[in-house]
Amino acid sequence: MRVLILGLDNAGKTTLMKKFLGEPTDTIEPTLGFDIKTVHFKGFQLNLWDVGGQKSLRSYWKNYFESTDALIWVVDSSDRERLSQCAEELRKLLEEERLAGASLLVLANKSDLPGAIDVNSIAQVLDLHSIKSHHWKIFSCCALSGERLITAMTWLCDDVGSRIFILD
Amino acid sequence: MKAEQQQTIPTGSATFPAQMPRPPPVTEQGVATEAELLAKEVITPADVLSLPGITQGFLCSPQANVYNIEFTRFQIRDLNTQQVLFEIAKPEAENQEIIQPESVQDAARYVRYRFGPSFLRLKTVGATVEFKVGDYPVENFRMIERHFFKDRLLKCFDFEFGFCIPNSRNNCEHIYDFPQLSQTLTLKVD
Repeated sequence: MRVLILGLDNAGKTTLMKKFLGEPTDTIEPTLGFDIKTVHFKGFQLNLWDVGGQKSLRSYWKNYFESTDALIWVVDSSDRERLSQCAEELRKLLEEERLAGASLLVLANKSDLPGAIDVNSIAQVLDLHSIKSHHWKIFSCCALSGERLITAMTWLCDDVGSRIFILD
Repeated sequence: MKAEQQQTIPTGSATFPAQMPRPPPVTEQGVATEAELLAKEVITPADVLSLPGITQGFLCSPQANVYNIEFTRFQIRDLNTQQVLFEIAKPEAENQEIIQPESVQDAARYVRYRFGPSFLRLKTVGATVEFKVGDYPVENFRMIERHFFKDRLLKCFDFEFGFCIPNSRNNCEHIYDFPQLSQTLTLKVD
Protein backbone atom coordinates (compact mmCIF):
# COMPACT_ATOMS: atom_id res chain seq x y z
CA MET A 1 0.00 0.00 0.00
CA ARG A 2 1.51 3.29 -1.06
CA VAL A 3 0.88 6.18 1.33
CA LEU A 4 1.92 9.72 0.46
CA ILE A 5 2.46 12.11 3.37
CA LEU A 6 2.29 15.79 2.44
CA GLY A 7 1.68 19.15 4.09
CA LEU A 8 3.34 22.54 4.45
CA ASP A 9 6.88 22.70 5.80
CA ASN A 10 7.13 22.40 9.58
CA ALA A 11 3.76 20.59 9.80
CA GLY A 12 5.45 17.61 11.47
CA LYS A 13 5.33 14.98 8.70
CA THR A 14 8.70 13.43 9.46
CA THR A 15 8.14 13.57 13.22
CA LEU A 16 4.79 11.78 12.83
CA MET A 17 6.34 9.07 10.74
CA LYS A 18 9.26 8.59 13.11
CA LYS A 19 6.92 8.45 16.10
CA PHE A 20 4.77 5.88 14.33
CA LEU A 21 7.84 3.67 13.91
CA GLY A 22 9.30 4.22 17.36
CA GLU A 23 12.25 6.38 16.41
CA PRO A 24 13.56 9.27 18.51
CA THR A 25 12.01 12.59 17.48
CA ASP A 26 14.35 15.03 19.16
CA THR A 27 16.63 15.92 16.24
CA ILE A 28 14.47 16.31 13.15
CA GLU A 29 15.70 18.52 10.36
CA PRO A 30 13.71 19.86 7.41
CA THR A 31 13.30 17.13 4.78
CA LEU A 32 15.13 18.26 1.65
CA GLY A 33 13.93 15.39 -0.50
CA PHE A 34 12.00 12.34 0.61
CA ASP A 35 11.94 10.10 3.63
CA ILE A 36 10.60 6.63 2.92
CA LYS A 37 9.66 3.92 5.40
CA THR A 38 8.54 0.46 4.47
CA VAL A 39 6.90 -1.49 7.28
CA HIS A 40 4.28 -4.16 8.01
CA PHE A 41 1.21 -2.82 9.81
CA LYS A 42 -2.20 -4.47 10.31
CA GLY A 43 -1.41 -7.08 7.70
CA PHE A 44 -0.39 -4.53 5.07
CA GLN A 45 3.00 -3.74 3.62
CA LEU A 46 3.01 0.05 4.00
CA ASN A 47 5.28 2.18 1.85
CA LEU A 48 5.20 5.59 3.48
CA TRP A 49 6.51 8.48 1.37
CA ASP A 50 7.11 11.70 3.26
CA VAL A 51 8.16 14.43 0.82
CA GLY A 52 9.58 17.77 1.95
CA GLY A 53 7.00 20.55 2.26
CA GLN A 54 9.08 23.65 1.63
CA LYS A 55 7.70 25.91 -1.05
CA SER A 56 10.58 25.16 -3.44
CA LEU A 57 9.88 21.42 -3.16
CA ARG A 58 6.09 21.49 -3.61
CA SER A 59 6.36 21.62 -7.39
CA TYR A 60 7.98 18.18 -7.21
CA TRP A 61 5.11 16.60 -5.27
CA LYS A 62 3.41 15.60 -8.52
CA ASN A 63 6.24 13.17 -9.23
CA TYR A 64 5.05 11.05 -6.32
CA PHE A 65 1.31 10.83 -7.08
CA GLU A 66 1.34 7.69 -9.25
CA SER A 67 -0.26 4.58 -7.67
CA THR A 68 -0.96 6.33 -4.37
CA ASP A 69 -3.53 4.43 -2.27
CA ALA A 70 -3.75 6.95 0.55
CA LEU A 71 -2.83 10.54 1.20
CA ILE A 72 -2.01 11.83 4.66
CA TRP A 73 -2.31 15.61 4.84
CA VAL A 74 -0.55 16.99 7.89
CA VAL A 75 -1.64 20.34 9.32
CA ASP A 76 0.14 22.41 11.95
CA SER A 77 -2.83 23.29 14.18
CA SER A 78 -0.89 26.11 15.80
CA ASP A 79 -0.02 27.88 12.53
CA ARG A 80 -3.05 30.17 12.15
CA GLU A 81 -1.30 32.42 9.66
CA ARG A 82 -0.78 29.74 7.07
CA LEU A 83 -4.00 27.79 7.49
CA SER A 84 -5.53 29.29 4.35
CA GLN A 85 -2.36 28.47 2.39
CA CYS A 86 -2.62 24.96 3.77
CA ALA A 87 -6.25 24.71 2.60
CA GLU A 88 -5.29 25.97 -0.85
CA GLU A 89 -2.50 23.36 -1.27
CA LEU A 90 -4.85 20.58 -0.21
CA ARG A 91 -7.54 21.76 -2.62
CA LYS A 92 -5.02 21.57 -5.48
CA LEU A 93 -4.06 18.03 -4.52
CA LEU A 94 -7.66 16.85 -4.42
CA GLU A 95 -8.13 17.98 -8.01
CA GLU A 96 -5.27 15.75 -9.13
CA GLU A 97 -6.45 12.95 -11.32
CA ARG A 98 -3.66 10.62 -10.25
CA LEU A 99 -4.77 10.94 -6.63
CA ALA A 100 -8.42 10.24 -7.45
CA GLY A 101 -9.78 7.51 -5.24
CA ALA A 102 -6.99 7.72 -2.67
CA SER A 103 -8.24 7.73 0.92
CA LEU A 104 -7.53 11.02 2.67
CA LEU A 105 -6.39 11.15 6.28
CA VAL A 106 -6.04 14.67 7.67
CA LEU A 107 -3.91 14.91 10.79
CA ALA A 108 -4.38 18.10 12.79
CA ASN A 109 -0.96 17.93 14.41
CA LYS A 110 0.36 19.89 17.40
CA SER A 111 -3.18 20.00 18.82
CA ASP A 112 -1.66 20.07 22.32
CA LEU A 113 0.00 23.45 21.80
CA PRO A 114 -1.57 26.44 23.51
CA GLY A 115 -3.52 28.44 20.96
CA ALA A 116 -3.94 25.46 18.64
CA ILE A 117 -7.03 25.65 16.43
CA ASP A 118 -9.58 22.98 17.27
CA VAL A 119 -10.08 20.09 14.91
CA ASN A 120 -13.62 21.09 13.85
CA SER A 121 -12.52 24.58 12.82
CA ILE A 122 -9.67 23.06 10.79
CA ALA A 123 -12.12 20.72 9.03
CA GLN A 124 -14.22 23.78 8.22
CA VAL A 125 -11.33 25.90 6.85
CA LEU A 126 -10.11 22.95 4.77
CA ASP A 127 -13.71 22.51 3.58
CA LEU A 128 -13.50 18.78 4.16
CA HIS A 129 -17.28 18.30 4.28
CA SER A 130 -17.60 19.25 0.62
CA ILE A 131 -15.19 16.50 -0.51
CA LYS A 132 -17.03 13.94 -2.60
CA SER A 133 -14.09 12.50 -4.54
CA HIS A 134 -12.26 10.86 -1.63
CA HIS A 135 -13.04 8.96 1.55
CA TRP A 136 -11.71 11.22 4.27
CA LYS A 137 -11.37 11.53 8.02
CA ILE A 138 -9.69 14.07 10.28
CA PHE A 139 -7.96 13.33 13.59
CA SER A 140 -6.30 15.73 15.98
CA CYS A 141 -2.97 14.38 17.12
CA CYS A 142 0.34 15.17 18.71
CA ALA A 143 3.34 13.80 16.86
CA LEU A 144 5.64 14.15 19.84
CA SER A 145 3.49 12.00 22.15
CA GLY A 146 2.09 9.82 19.37
CA GLU A 147 -1.41 10.37 20.67
CA ARG A 148 -4.18 9.00 18.39
CA LEU A 149 -1.60 8.16 15.74
CA ILE A 150 -2.27 4.41 15.78
CA THR A 151 -6.05 4.99 15.71
CA ALA A 152 -5.68 7.28 12.70
CA MET A 153 -3.37 4.89 10.84
CA THR A 154 -5.72 2.01 11.58
CA TRP A 155 -8.64 3.92 10.06
CA LEU A 156 -6.54 4.60 6.97
CA CYS A 157 -5.54 0.96 6.50
CA ASP A 158 -9.11 -0.24 7.06
CA ASP A 159 -10.43 2.24 4.53
CA VAL A 160 -7.90 1.36 1.84
CA GLY A 161 -8.30 -2.32 2.69
CA SER A 162 -12.07 -2.24 2.22
CA ARG A 163 -11.65 -0.53 -1.15
CA ILE A 164 -9.08 -3.05 -2.36
CA PHE A 165 -11.38 -5.84 -1.17
CA ILE A 166 -14.31 -4.45 -3.15
CA LEU A 167 -12.20 -4.12 -6.29
CA ASP A 168 -11.03 -7.71 -5.96
CA MET B 1 40.89 -12.45 6.51
CA LYS B 2 38.43 -12.82 9.32
CA ALA B 3 41.12 -12.49 12.00
CA GLU B 4 42.41 -9.33 10.41
CA GLN B 5 38.93 -7.82 10.31
CA GLN B 6 38.35 -8.62 13.95
CA GLN B 7 41.45 -6.72 14.92
CA THR B 8 40.66 -3.60 12.94
CA ILE B 9 36.90 -3.27 13.30
CA PRO B 10 35.15 -3.66 16.62
CA THR B 11 31.81 -5.44 16.70
CA GLY B 12 28.84 -3.24 15.91
CA SER B 13 30.75 -0.76 13.79
CA ALA B 14 31.44 0.01 10.19
CA THR B 15 34.09 1.75 8.13
CA PHE B 16 34.67 3.10 4.65
CA PRO B 17 37.96 1.29 3.89
CA ALA B 18 40.22 2.74 1.23
CA GLN B 19 40.76 -0.61 -0.38
CA MET B 20 38.11 -3.05 -1.34
CA PRO B 21 38.97 -6.68 -0.79
CA ARG B 22 38.53 -8.85 -3.85
CA PRO B 23 36.68 -11.83 -2.54
CA PRO B 24 37.39 -15.15 -4.18
CA PRO B 25 34.76 -16.21 -6.69
CA VAL B 26 32.07 -18.39 -5.13
CA THR B 27 31.38 -20.53 -8.15
CA GLU B 28 32.83 -20.94 -11.61
CA GLN B 29 29.44 -19.98 -12.95
CA GLY B 30 29.58 -16.72 -10.97
CA VAL B 31 32.88 -15.73 -12.52
CA ALA B 32 31.56 -16.33 -15.98
CA THR B 33 28.48 -14.26 -15.28
CA GLU B 34 30.44 -11.33 -13.87
CA ALA B 35 32.82 -11.39 -16.83
CA GLU B 36 29.87 -11.52 -19.18
CA LEU B 37 28.25 -8.51 -17.54
CA LEU B 38 31.49 -6.53 -17.65
CA ALA B 39 31.70 -7.16 -21.38
CA LYS B 40 28.25 -5.73 -21.96
CA GLU B 41 27.65 -2.15 -22.92
CA VAL B 42 24.58 -1.80 -20.70
CA ILE B 43 23.94 -3.76 -17.51
CA THR B 44 20.26 -4.04 -16.65
CA PRO B 45 18.49 -4.66 -13.32
CA ALA B 46 17.59 -8.14 -14.62
CA ASP B 47 21.31 -8.83 -15.12
CA VAL B 48 22.03 -7.85 -11.52
CA LEU B 49 19.15 -9.96 -10.21
CA SER B 50 20.53 -12.97 -12.04
CA LEU B 51 23.97 -12.85 -10.43
CA PRO B 52 24.48 -16.05 -8.43
CA GLY B 53 26.83 -14.56 -5.84
CA ILE B 54 28.81 -11.49 -4.87
CA THR B 55 30.94 -9.99 -7.59
CA GLN B 56 34.68 -9.61 -7.28
CA GLY B 57 34.58 -5.95 -8.20
CA PHE B 58 32.27 -3.13 -9.20
CA LEU B 59 30.38 -3.48 -12.46
CA CYS B 60 30.77 0.17 -13.45
CA SER B 61 33.35 2.89 -13.01
CA PRO B 62 32.83 5.79 -10.58
CA GLN B 63 32.48 8.05 -13.65
CA ALA B 64 29.33 6.18 -14.67
CA ASN B 65 27.55 7.86 -11.76
CA VAL B 66 26.36 10.75 -13.92
CA TYR B 67 23.63 11.74 -11.48
CA ASN B 68 26.14 12.09 -8.67
CA ILE B 69 24.20 9.79 -6.41
CA GLU B 70 26.15 9.51 -3.20
CA PHE B 71 25.30 7.29 -0.26
CA THR B 72 26.00 9.27 2.88
CA ARG B 73 24.62 7.34 5.84
CA PHE B 74 23.80 3.79 6.88
CA GLN B 75 22.03 2.78 10.04
CA ILE B 76 20.67 -0.45 11.44
CA ARG B 77 18.38 -0.53 14.46
CA ASP B 78 16.63 -3.21 16.43
CA LEU B 79 12.90 -2.54 16.45
CA ASN B 80 12.30 -4.73 19.51
CA THR B 81 14.61 -2.79 21.81
CA GLN B 82 14.61 0.50 19.82
CA GLN B 83 18.41 0.40 19.98
CA VAL B 84 20.56 1.71 17.15
CA LEU B 85 22.94 -1.17 16.50
CA PHE B 86 25.25 1.02 14.53
CA GLU B 87 25.39 4.04 12.34
CA ILE B 88 27.99 5.32 9.94
CA ALA B 89 27.83 8.69 8.19
CA LYS B 90 30.20 10.10 5.65
CA PRO B 91 31.83 13.32 6.74
CA GLU B 92 30.62 16.27 4.69
CA ALA B 93 33.07 17.06 1.89
CA GLU B 94 34.36 20.59 2.39
CA ASN B 95 35.17 21.19 -1.22
CA GLN B 96 33.21 19.23 -3.78
CA GLU B 97 35.38 20.58 -6.62
CA ILE B 98 38.46 18.62 -5.66
CA ILE B 99 38.88 15.78 -8.10
CA GLN B 100 39.79 12.69 -6.19
CA PRO B 101 41.95 9.88 -7.46
CA GLU B 102 40.07 6.80 -8.59
CA SER B 103 41.12 4.72 -5.59
CA VAL B 104 39.47 7.23 -3.25
CA GLN B 105 36.36 7.35 -5.42
CA ASP B 106 36.23 3.59 -5.25
CA ALA B 107 36.50 3.62 -1.47
CA ALA B 108 33.63 6.07 -1.28
CA ARG B 109 31.23 3.47 -2.62
CA TYR B 110 32.23 0.59 -0.45
CA VAL B 111 31.31 0.13 3.19
CA ARG B 112 32.36 -2.68 5.52
CA TYR B 113 30.33 -3.72 8.54
CA ARG B 114 31.14 -6.11 11.31
CA PHE B 115 28.35 -7.63 13.38
CA GLY B 116 28.57 -9.77 16.46
CA PRO B 117 26.99 -13.24 16.46
CA SER B 118 23.94 -11.89 18.33
CA PHE B 119 23.02 -9.99 15.16
CA LEU B 120 21.76 -13.21 13.62
CA ARG B 121 19.25 -13.68 16.43
CA LEU B 122 17.49 -10.33 15.96
CA LYS B 123 13.80 -10.46 15.10
CA THR B 124 12.93 -7.17 13.43
CA VAL B 125 15.42 -4.65 12.11
CA GLY B 126 15.21 -1.27 10.40
CA ALA B 127 17.89 -0.61 7.80
CA THR B 128 18.30 3.00 6.70
CA VAL B 129 20.25 4.42 3.81
CA GLU B 130 20.63 8.09 3.11
CA PHE B 131 21.73 9.40 -0.26
CA LYS B 132 22.27 12.69 -1.98
CA VAL B 133 21.45 13.48 -5.59
CA GLY B 134 23.36 15.96 -7.78
CA ASP B 135 22.18 18.81 -9.97
CA TYR B 136 19.96 16.74 -12.24
CA PRO B 137 16.62 15.14 -11.40
CA VAL B 138 16.71 11.35 -11.42
CA GLU B 139 13.61 10.08 -13.19
CA ASN B 140 13.48 6.50 -12.03
CA PHE B 141 15.88 5.35 -9.37
CA ARG B 142 15.77 1.72 -8.35
CA MET B 143 17.92 0.15 -5.67
CA ILE B 144 18.59 -3.56 -5.56
CA GLU B 145 20.32 -5.05 -2.54
CA ARG B 146 21.42 -8.68 -2.57
CA HIS B 147 22.74 -10.16 0.64
CA PHE B 148 24.81 -13.29 0.22
CA PHE B 149 26.47 -15.73 2.51
CA LYS B 150 28.86 -17.62 0.24
CA ASP B 151 26.70 -18.55 -2.74
CA ARG B 152 23.44 -18.44 -0.84
CA LEU B 153 21.10 -15.47 -1.20
CA LEU B 154 19.85 -14.62 2.30
CA LYS B 155 17.87 -11.50 1.46
CA CYS B 156 16.99 -9.47 -1.61
CA PHE B 157 15.68 -5.93 -1.35
CA ASP B 158 14.45 -4.41 -4.59
CA PHE B 159 12.84 -0.99 -4.31
CA GLU B 160 11.85 1.71 -6.77
CA PHE B 161 12.39 5.19 -5.42
CA GLY B 162 11.15 6.57 -8.72
CA PHE B 163 11.79 10.27 -9.00
CA CYS B 164 14.53 12.01 -7.02
CA ILE B 165 14.58 15.80 -6.64
CA PRO B 166 17.77 17.52 -7.85
CA ASN B 167 20.16 18.43 -5.02
CA SER B 168 18.06 16.47 -2.57
CA ARG B 169 18.99 14.42 0.45
CA ASN B 170 16.81 11.35 0.79
CA ASN B 171 16.28 8.65 3.36
CA CYS B 172 14.82 5.20 3.13
CA GLU B 173 14.26 2.85 6.04
CA HIS B 174 13.21 -0.67 5.29
CA ILE B 175 11.78 -2.44 8.34
CA TYR B 176 11.69 -6.18 8.02
CA ASP B 177 11.70 -9.43 9.88
CA PHE B 178 15.11 -10.95 9.88
CA PRO B 179 15.41 -13.92 7.55
CA GLN B 180 15.27 -17.04 9.69
CA LEU B 181 18.43 -19.01 9.13
CA SER B 182 18.74 -22.63 10.00
CA GLN B 183 20.84 -23.40 13.06
CA THR B 184 23.56 -24.98 10.96
CA LEU B 185 23.83 -21.93 8.74
CA THR B 186 23.83 -19.60 11.75
CA LEU B 187 26.76 -21.49 13.20
CA LYS B 188 28.63 -21.23 9.92
CA VAL B 189 28.06 -17.50 9.63
CA ASP B 190 29.13 -16.98 13.27
